[in-house]
Amino acid sequence: MVFILVLLFIVIAAAIWFFATYNSFIGLKLRVENAWSQIDVQLKRRHDLIPNLVETVKGYMSYEKDTLERVIKARSQAIDASNIKDKAQAENFLTQTLRSLFSVVEKYPDLKANQNVLQLQGELTSTENKISFARQYFNDEVQNYNTMIQTVPSIFVAGIANFQKKDFFEIEDASQKEPPQVKL
Amino acid sequence: MPFTFVEIEKRKSRAILFAFFFLILIYFLTAYLLLFAVENWFLRKEAVKVLIPSLEHALYALTGAVVVAIVHWLNSTDNLILKMTGAINAVSLDPWDLYHQYFQNIVDEVAIATGGKKIKPMVIPSSGMNAFALDDFEGHSIIGVTEGLLARLNRSQIEAVVAHEAAHIASGDCFTTTVLSSLSEIYGVSIEKLKEALIRGNRGSNRGIGLAVLIYMILVFTNFLSKMMRFFISREFETRADAIAVKLVRNPLSLAEALKLISRKWHSQSGASDSLQSIFIINPQPNQLDEKESLLADLFSTHPPIKKRVGMLLALAHLDEKSLEESLKNFIRVSPIAKPVFSMEDSFRPENRWLFMQDGVWKGPFSFDELVKMNGLIPTQWFKIEGKEEVGMAYDYPQLKELFEKDQQDFKGNCPNCKVGLDEFNYEGVPVLNCSYCGGYFVDHYKINRILVRQDNEPSEEIKHLAKIVADEKDKIMRRNYKNPQFILYCPVCKKCKMSRQFFVYSYPVEIDRCTACSGVWFDKTELEVLQYIHDNKETLLYRDSAF
Repeated sequence: MVFILVLLFIVIAAAIWFFATYNSFIGLKLRVENAWSQIDVQLKRRHDLIPNLVETVKGYMSYEKDTLERVIKARSQAIDASNIKDKAQAENFLTQTLRSLFSVVEKYPDLKANQNVLQLQGELTSTENKISFARQYFNDEVQNYNTMIQTVPSIFVAGIANFQKKDFFEIEDASQKEPPQVKL
Repeated sequence: MPFTFVEIEKRKSRAILFAFFFLILIYFLTAYLLLFAVENWFLRKEAVKVLIPSLEHALYALTGAVVVAIVHWLNSTDNLILKMTGAINAVSLDPWDLYHQYFQNIVDEVAIATGGKKIKPMVIPSSGMNAFALDDFEGHSIIGVTEGLLARLNRSQIEAVVAHEAAHIASGDCFTTTVLSSLSEIYGVSIEKLKEALIRGNRGSNRGIGLAVLIYMILVFTNFLSKMMRFFISREFETRADAIAVKLVRNPLSLAEALKLISRKWHSQSGASDSLQSIFIINPQPNQLDEKESLLADLFSTHPPIKKRVGMLLALAHLDEKSLEESLKNFIRVSPIAKPVFSMEDSFRPENRWLFMQDGVWKGPFSFDELVKMNGLIPTQWFKIEGKEEVGMAYDYPQLKELFEKDQQDFKGNCPNCKVGLDEFNYEGVPVLNCSYCGGYFVDHYKINRILVRQDNEPSEEIKHLAKIVADEKDKIMRRNYKNPQFILYCPVCKKCKMSRQFFVYSYPVEIDRCTACSGVWFDKTELEVLQYIHDNKETLLYRDSAF
C-alpha cells in the first residue's frame, strides 16, 4: 500500500515537472519567434527602401550600372531566401552590395548634394543598426532556447516532445562583428 | 533580457501596493500627531498630564488617512505622464529638426534591442546634460534627453544613455520611480504655494498666522516623510540599469564616457524639483549624499556615486581610469548632420541648352534662364540637351528639377529686406527660414535656444572680430536704443506687424529684430553667428573686466 502511494506520488511529481518544463520550452520558443519577427520587420523595411534608392540614384549613375544591378539582384535573392541560414547569407551579401553602392555615391558630388539620397542613406543606415540590434536580441533568445534543449534534465523533455535546436542569425563578415557603430 | 513580462508585471503590482500602504501610513502618522498636538496644547483643560488620543480617535484618524491617501493617489496618478513631463518641461520632438530625427532613430534602434517595446522620445529644451525615463500604468514609456546632451555627446554615447533609460523601462523599476516621484511631487508644489501665502498674509491676525504655521509645519513633516519614499527607490536601480544597458548596446566604454562627461561639466538641474531627481540618469541636483557609501546614503540617496558606476563599467570593458581619460581627451564629436556638399566644378560648368517636346515637335534650344520664364512646362515633358541624342523626362535631369520645385514650394513669407520669398533652411539641424539673397534668417522664438546649444558651425575670423566689437560697444548701443526705439522691418510671418530692433537679451548684446506679435526673430546676415559665438564664449568676451 505504502509502496503504491509512493509510486503514485513519484509519477504525479514527474508529470508536473514534465508539463512545467514543456511549458517553459513553449514560452522560450514563442520568444524566439517573436524575436525573429522583429528582424523580419526590419529586413522588409530595408527591402522596401532599396527600390527607392535605386530609382533616385539611377538618373545620375550611367556608368555604374553593374553596382546597381548587383544591389537589385541581392535584394531579390534576400526576398526569396526561405530558411534562416540562407536568409542570413543573402542579407549579408545585400549589406555588402549596399556598402559598395554608397562608396560609389561618394564619387558623385551631385548625388551627395541630393537631399533625397541623403535621407534614404540615413534611413538605410538606421535600418541597418536596427537589424543588428534585432539580430542581437534574436541570438540571445535562441541561445536561451538551445541551452535549455541541451542541458540535463530538460534534455529529456526536449527529446520526448521533439524540440529541435534553432539556428543563429550569423554574420560571416569579420569586419561586422564589432559593436554597431555606424554613424549617421 | 533577464526579465519576462510576467515578472515585470508582478514587480509593478508589488510596487504599487507598497507605495499605497506607505501613503496611508504617512497620513495616519500625520493625523495622529495632529490629534496629539491638538489634544495636548489647544484643548488642554487639566494640569500637566500628557494625553494620548483614544483608540476611537485613532480609528477616525485612520479613516481620514485612507480617504486622503486615496484622493492623493487618484490625483497624482491621473494623467501621470502628462503631469510629469509638464513638471520637467519636456516637449515632443520637432519632426523637421535634423537632430531630433537623429534622436528618434537612436531611440527606435535601442527599443528594438529590448525586444520591441514602444518608446516615445522627448526632449527638454535646456542646455544642461541629463536624460530621463517615464513609464505609466498603461505601459506608455517615454525616454527624454536635454538639448545639451544631444549637442555635446556623440552617437554611441547617446545610444548608451538611451539604453540605460530603456533598461529602466524594461526592468520595470522606471514605473516605480515614476509613480513615487509623482506622489511626492505634490508636496513640493504645495509647500512653495504655502510659503508664498505666508509671506503675503503676514499682516493678518495672529490666529490666522498660527493656523498657517501649523499647516506649514505639517507639510514640512509630510514632505520629510515623502522623502522617505526614496527608501523604496534603491540605488541598485541605477547600477542594474547600467549593467542591462551594456548588455543592450555591448559598449561599456561609451556609457562610462557619457556618465563622466555629464557629471563633469553640465551637471545642471534642467528645472527639475527635488522630488523628481530619481527619474534622471544623474541626479540633477548635486548631492553630497550621492557620492558617499554608507547605510544612510544607501537608504536616502537615489543615485550611487558616479565614480563607482564608471568604475564598474570600466571593469566590464577591461580598462582603467587612465584609458578613459585618454579616450575623453581624444574625443572628437562628429556632427550627426550630413551636410550637402556642393562642388565648385558643378557651378562653373558651361550651361547646357535644352530642347523640349511640345505638340509633337522639338522646340528650342533654350537656356535654363529662358526656361524659367516660360509657363506651362510640366515635369513629365520630354527634354533633351542640345547636341545629344539622349532623351528623358524633365525630372530625369537634376538641373531641370529646380524649375518645378520652386513652384510647388508653399509660400513661407517674404524677406523683410529683399521682399522675395524665403526658403526653408536647416541651420544646425533646426528648420528656419532663410533669404538666399541677403543671407538673413527668420527663427521662431522657441527654436533659438536649440541653435544656441548646438555647435557644429566653426565661427570664422570675421565673426570673432564682429563679436568682439559688439561686446565692447554694448553700452553705447544700449543708450541709443533706449532713447529712440526703432521699428524698421515687417515680420515675414505675421506680415503686418512691425519688428522692434533690440538686443537679443542684455547678456548677449547682439542687435536683432523681434516681432512684436509672434516674438519670432529676424537675424540679418552674421547676426545669428555672432550671437552663437558670444553665447559660447561669454566668459572671455563679456566678463573680461569684471575679473579684476
